[in-house]
Amino acid sequence: MNAPNRYELYVLDEGEAPVEVNEDTKIPNAATIKILKQDHTLGNMLRGQLLSMPQVLFAGYKVPHPLHPHFLLKIQTDGTSPPDVVLSEACNQLIGTLSSLESQFKREFSFKEVDGGAGAGGAAGGAFATSDDPYGTGTSTSGAGAWGNNRDDYLDF
Amino acid sequence: MNTDPILRIREYQRDRVNFVLENVDLAFANSLRRVMMADLPTVAIDLVEIEANTTVLPDEFIAHRLGMIPLVSTNCDVAMRYTRDCNCLENCAFCSIILSLHVTCNDSVTMDVTSHHLELQPHPDQGIEEAGEEQVKRVESFGSPIGKNEAGVDPILICKIRKGQELKLRCIAKKGIAKEHAKWSPCSAVAFEYDPHNKLRHTSYWFETDEKAEWPLGENAREEEPTREDEPFDFNAKPNKFYFDVETDGSLGAQEVVMKGIAELQKKLASLVWALRKVRSGENDMDMPSGGDQPSGDQATAASNGGWGSGSDSAGWGNPTSGGGGGSTGAWGGGASPSRSGGWGSNPGAGNPGIWSSSSPAAGGWGSPSAQANGWNV
Repeated sequence: MNAPNRYELYVLDEGEAPVEVNEDTKIPNAATIKILKQDHTLGNMLRGQLLSMPQVLFAGYKVPHPLHPHFLLKIQTDGTSPPDVVLSEACNQLIGTLSSLESQFKREFSFKEVDGGAGAGGAAGGAFATSDDPYGTGTSTSGAGAWGNNRDDYLDF
Repeated sequence: MNTDPILRIREYQRDRVNFVLENVDLAFANSLRRVMMADLPTVAIDLVEIEANTTVLPDEFIAHRLGMIPLVSTNCDVAMRYTRDCNCLENCAFCSIILSLHVTCNDSVTMDVTSHHLELQPHPDQGIEEAGEEQVKRVESFGSPIGKNEAGVDPILICKIRKGQELKLRCIAKKGIAKEHAKWSPCSAVAFEYDPHNKLRHTSYWFETDEKAEWPLGENAREEEPTREDEPFDFNAKPNKFYFDVETDGSLGAQEVVMKGIAELQKKLASLVWALRKVRSGENDMDMPSGGDQPSGDQATAASNGGWGSGSDSAGWGNPTSGGGGGSTGAWGGGASPSRSGGWGSNPGAGNPGIWSSSSPAAGGWGSPSAQANGWNV
């Protein structure tokens, strides 16, 4: 097998820089930022956040090739701060939003557990226990047993 | 999006949670969905050593079926190492779990070989080295097939054997994420819906004679006002309310999937902030020592990539006049950012179809927003 390891799609190589910033030579206050070993999960979220910021004139991302594990993020700002600083700020805003979401989830989950809904251990039987038998045990059905017995006739042990 | 998100959990069970997320971007909600499906580590059988297999199924077939069995993976992110990060040669007690299975059929009835026959074995290395911090964090049943010692849980069928047949094998389970193989996904399904009345027209319904009759509204439609007959189309509207239903395969609980998913997204963002800072400081001080103190195990060097790089990988760049504005229809242009330079059209809300749920990460590839003619997703 000479295939590359699959984890190379999402783990940085030894000594590989996770981000490259290339300032645009023709457009003022613009940069193309190459983010390695990341995909639409991060790219689209950052693009969305950047577009909501007033100092951003343009933000777009693309994954140049589906087999190449990186994406390019192009940002143009109005000049008040450089693109990479705006990107860090966008990241920090998203981290803030996620923290707020996390604390809300924590609160909601603790309410649901108090309610006697499905706590971590409370639902031990509830979530998984079902009385019907999707596979059949083979032993309980008399038909299968009878059939099995007959098959012994041609078995040569 | 500077206002806080609004969350409401509608239903919560051990292995599923149904919630409504409001006041966030479509991209944000979709990233949460993607990260829960594909970026959370679990344990799954990866290597199978078959000693005896006289069943009707070939070895590969059984090895594949074994890989799909969910194993208890609570706290997997801290309780186990990746083999690639481990300092052992092949596998050790830190980075692998050993399971064995030995079944012979001596009755004259067909017998089921199920996940309940898999026995957790202590690793042969266990005890040679002291139990590390990873092992201490493991729960008792860590690595065993889900529901093994619980009453009323149906086992997972591996194979059926008849009299005289035998299956004997040894499995090595490893930690991984679903980007490597879908067997490591903690989710069996993540339902994701927005705009149940299709007010935003992100999708169009195929129908034979009557659209309304052939596309009945789902549960989520009750949460939103239906479209009035005389309502004009609001082309500036953006989706704001998202309906999730996260269902796990049992390897992780639903709560753990959601909380770890959020934490994983934060980790991705934090590593990016850290790397950008490194690049910035590298511009000022080219001799800064590299590597060393990065938070999340990602490697970085201080080598400066800033400044006027040669821009070698700018393959797909159209120039603004020829390709830049393509794909963006005028109506969508407005949106989030007030002033936008002429050449680059922007399509802030468009992208995903209105209603879609994905049952498995492997099924449809990694969903992506719609690309423009020039390859940019904006």
